[in-house]
Amino acid sequence: MKKVKVYALSTCLWCKKTKRYFEEKKIPFEAVDYDKQDDDCQQKIMEEIKANGGTGSFPFVKIGNSCTQGYNPGEFEKLLEKK
Amino acid sequence: MNVEQRKQALRFLFGPIVDKLGYKFTPVEEDAEFLLEQEVLLEAETGMPYCPCQARGKDRAENMKIVCPCIPFHRRHYDAMKRCWCGLFVHKDVTDPDKLVQFPESAIKEG
Repeated sequence: MKKVKVYALSTCLWCKKTKRYFEEKKIPFEAVDYDKQDDDCQQKIMEEIKANGGTGSFPFVKIGNSCTQGYNPGEFEKLLEKK
Repeated sequence: MNVEQRKQALRFLFGPIVDKLGYKFTPVEEDAEFLLEQEVLLEAETGMPYCPCQARGKDRAENMKIVCPCIPFHRRHYDAMKRCWCGLFVHKDVTDPDKLVQFPESAIKEG
């Protein structure tokens, strides 16, 4: 199974919906709340997000070697099935 | 601070602004209430009702672009989605926001 990582904000409605999506599908995932990290960690996360084509908008989801930004179940399914 | 009173104040302040931009509050009341509450809490913490779904950085000018309602700074992107990033506002013609898809700005640049 592909490794799933959700970068989120604790204040973000769509981040909560993204986490719920993976929970309901029983897909294991790692979640990191960006706003709950210290400055150094936030900088590292933002560098990683930007290196993968993202911006400061959350959620940012890594599925295997692919990334997507925003709550988009259709895109999540596509990336989960991608070979 | 009374959170409920401030939420009502933000509704009163934002309503006429987004109306002129062609937007309205999401008809999904539960979502609107949650998002407004997050904005009230962010305002209490930082002094500004920032978008609860976008991260602040160290550049104040950039941070100002995510103070709610941030539609004018992201017009092309939000018009393409028919909603703002956090979904507090949707185009006036939207009746079912759950059918809208959230996608990054880069997706419209790529066509």
